[in-house]
Amino acid sequence: MCAIAAPEVFGSDDIGNAAILIEGDIPADLEAKARRAEGNCPERAIEIIE
Amino acid sequence: MKQDIDYDIFNHDFVWNPFPTFDAVRESGCPIVHSDKWGGSWMPTRYEDIVALAQEHDVFTSREIIVVPPPPGQLEGPYGGVKAPPITSDPPDHHWHRRAILPVFSPQSVATYEASMREFCNGLIDGFIDNGRADAAADYAQRIPVNVIARMLGVPVEMSETFTEWVRGALEVGLTNPELRRENRMKIIEFFVGQINERKANPRENDLITDLLRLEVDGQPAPLEYVIGVCNLMLVAGIDTTWSAIGSSLWHLAGHAEHRKQLRENPELWPTAVEEFLRAYAPVTMARIVDRDIEFQGCPMKAGDRVLMTFPAANRDPRQFERPDEVILDRQNNRHVAFGAGIHRCAGSNLARLELKVALQTWMERIPEFTLVDPTAVTWAGGQVRGPRQCLVSF
Repeated sequence: MCAIAAPEVFGSDDIGNAAILIEGDIPADLEAKARRAEGNCPERAIEIIE
Repeated sequence: MKQDIDYDIFNHDFVWNPFPTFDAVRESGCPIVHSDKWGGSWMPTRYEDIVALAQEHDVFTSREIIVVPPPPGQLEGPYGGVKAPPITSDPPDHHWHRRAILPVFSPQSVATYEASMREFCNGLIDGFIDNGRADAAADYAQRIPVNVIARMLGVPVEMSETFTEWVRGALEVGLTNPELRRENRMKIIEFFVGQINERKANPRENDLITDLLRLEVDGQPAPLEYVIGVCNLMLVAGIDTTWSAIGSSLWHLAGHAEHRKQLRENPELWPTAVEEFLRAYAPVTMARIVDRDIEFQGCPMKAGDRVLMTFPAANRDPRQFERPDEVILDRQNNRHVAFGAGIHRCAGSNLARLELKVALQTWMERIPEFTLVDPTAVTWAGGQVRGPRQCLVSF
């Protein structure tokens, strides 16, 4: 789900588990997408830290 | 324990529209109820409880995952040990059972099927578009996932109707008819034993069954029961579920001109719309077996009790979703559990999402306006998987 909401930030590893694609802070222009990924993760596995 | 609401998962009114019962239970003093019907089960209705149940897999085990007990005699005979890994597996085996099949369901792998899926959907529509009417469930939704799964498994697509019949026998009609259920389970198992023997004699390249036979676990080939079980799961879980989701979505669109219009004018809404259809019409209810006596949210559950994983009820909980009974195609925060949660979260969700998107988009491109011929004539199946089975539309 995160990979659909924010494909620039989240992807999947070789077996399809979610993986973070970027290092460090989320660029400002991707923040809205990242927040949408956070709000749609049924596992509550994403937490964006200010 | 206060308990004044009973339920019957195969009752006609409940199958047609379970949401009033879910709401009544959820807002009663006792949001988890028990019924003695169909072998007995607990039915939770709150999102939070259902997610907690899914996450506590050591207490709520997956040794049985069907909403009714197995038919007598299923666990005996040469194939008595065949289950449906990884959905029927508990840790520690669950981890390798799941890991072995995840690659075929990765977004990259399933994307290779998109173009052929679109072509197949268009071919179905070519077959009925000049009639001015079609059964959106039987002539369209039902035919799409089985075609994809047959190709993924490398088994004859010409057998699609037979596969559909077996799956309905094992998982739909068979749940209230143990003899039919056992018969169709054996047909599926015997078919895959034949396919496996054929692959042993003539291994294929880029072939899922061949790859499963080559799989090694701790230096040993994966047990035959595992290979048969995975094939069984892919056929059973890959067909009925997605077809039901496609059917429910088309049923919804047939009754909502404003949503057809919204999707035609705003195609960028497709990703959130697909998630919203999954939320509102989550097809699947699973089950868990309680491992040991435990009190869960005030309910005295005993070892061996069955607990329904009522994902369709969780997805309508107003504590989690604003205006839960409304379909809001651009809903922004949608933590629905149509695919479950925790370690058993649907392994095929990327494929299901793609099939749903392609099937609905293709229909809407070719048949932008359509309505139910007779809303009272639509028939539904339920129990494990809920969705329309006859849904005649005109256009």
